[in-house]
Amino acid sequence: MNALTDRHRERLLGYALLAPVAIFLAGLVAYPFLSAIYLSLTEKIVGYPAHFVGLKNYSALLESGRFRIVAWNSAAFTVGSIVVKLVVGMAMALALHHVVRGNQFIRGILLLPWVIPTVVIALTWKWLMDLFRGLINVALIDVGVVRSGVHWLGDPTLAMVSVIMANVWRGFPFFGVSFLAAMQTVPQELYDAAAVDGAGGWHKFWQITLPSIKGVVAVVTLLSTIVTLNDFNIVYIMTRGGPGAATHIFATYSYELGIMSQRWGLAMAASLASLPLVALLIVAVVRYLHREED
Amino acid sequence: MRPATLARWIVLAVIVLIVFVPMYWILVTSFKTGRQILLSQHIYVPWPFTIDNYIYLFQESRFALWIRNSAITATASTLLSLVIGTAGAYSLTRLSFPGRRTFGGVVLITYLVPPGLMFIPLYRTFIQMGYTDSLGTLILAYPTFLVPFVTWLLMGFFRSIPRELEEAALVDGATRIQAMVRVVLPLAAPGLLAAGLFCFTLSWNEFLYALIFIADDSLKTLPVGLSEFVVSDFAFWGQLMAAAALASLPVIVVYIYLHKYMVQGLTAGAVKG
Repeated sequence: MNALTDRHRERLLGYALLAPVAIFLAGLVAYPFLSAIYLSLTEKIVGYPAHFVGLKNYSALLESGRFRIVAWNSAAFTVGSIVVKLVVGMAMALALHHVVRGNQFIRGILLLPWVIPTVVIALTWKWLMDLFRGLINVALIDVGVVRSGVHWLGDPTLAMVSVIMANVWRGFPFFGVSFLAAMQTVPQELYDAAAVDGAGGWHKFWQITLPSIKGVVAVVTLLSTIVTLNDFNIVYIMTRGGPGAATHIFATYSYELGIMSQRWGLAMAASLASLPLVALLIVAVVRYLHREED
Repeated sequence: MRPATLARWIVLAVIVLIVFVPMYWILVTSFKTGRQILLSQHIYVPWPFTIDNYIYLFQESRFALWIRNSAITATASTLLSLVIGTAGAYSLTRLSFPGRRTFGGVVLITYLVPPGLMFIPLYRTFIQMGYTDSLGTLILAYPTFLVPFVTWLLMGFFRSIPRELEEAALVDGATRIQAMVRVVLPLAAPGLLAAGLFCFTLSWNEFLYALIFIADDSLKTLPVGLSEFVVSDFAFWGQLMAAAALASLPVIVVYIYLHKYMVQGLTAGAVKG
């Protein structure tokens, strides 16, 4: 009898302590999200109540040339950023792996881009790439690589390269430090055994290091893909999606539809457009993290 | 030196340089005069060296106001998230009740939903509530990503505290709440501090929600103020980079303290890029 009441009390306390989290997430995450799905199925014209239009907003998006450009840009921005972050992050981790003295210090310095505000990073890169006075163009001209300034943010392809560069600068240290932490848990015996068999550095990397840290590589890549696919700050500040729509991506596009044009139905549809992919990525992360827990 | 070691040091030097140059560029620009910037003189070192850009920020821009708004918002949303998240994490790790595992999963999923996907839906909800354009809007909005984060991070910390300590307190006649407040929370103090500093950093740096939800000029936060920084002078980069340096300073200070926890958090998968 007593044990039963104890269990009931524990349950009650459990729910009571969890209630604030639950109310918060229900009100400011679940509700907005569900109402967004509903609103994406309606059309609202100023002065009239919203009415249900089914999938019209989605089909309008899919048929619009601008949305296709946005989807393509988002893919290019995400894939470009992730691939470079993987390569540079791996290089960083491998380079730091055997450094004993000063390892902590160097790691600390290298993580700084990940700490400072993204707005600061985006503004700094915009200034670095300034046509006439930016450090990059001035240095390139000084060294003699180019004769006049490169139109980093004025040329459609270079603008995409520029926002990717800024995004990589911000994100690769996170990759590098995560990979390094994973590498340091790989047992030395594996390498010793491979060395006895006469394996070289490359061979060790592909046969031992990479397979041992692949869980961390997967989680970091997935997390970064989710965030990069829905990035706003860097593109908004550096190019506002321009020139033309050359760097317009999902979040800057839904900003344009919702905040600038007040076309809520379309804006909601655009916001949710990347959701199926994001949902898949989230499921993948959750499965990976749970597997590591067990 | 072996060729492999040499290659490693070269790679490392290049990466350090890549990280260093933009930060150097912020500082160098912030100490230049408008004339140097306009005429591209002394590109690599500020000469003459001036702190006018910093003085300008406090005397002729709304910089101090932006700092105030950011500090209020970041502090309040951090405290709110810590209280809610700590209670939630304790409940999810220490108490048993039906639906516990499911809810743990829900928290993780919410944590992974990116703001770039949520800002328009959340904005609509605040409009419906008639509650936009106040620092309170941001103080409520930031916990949408901070609470799942705190809960997730602290669940890890709570799990690492042996249950026996708490059970001993219960046997001694303490109630569950007393055991939590007197035994578990003090032991989790480093985790609470780390979670709080993380939250502060995330709120201090937040841009998207602050840009959308606040229209009143006197309520803008630091990142939004920076993004809209316009002065009459054409070569405003000096002032802007001074502002950028100062805006980064608090989070760098926090980071110096937090560094070892950050690396731990990274490996636990608790922190996302």
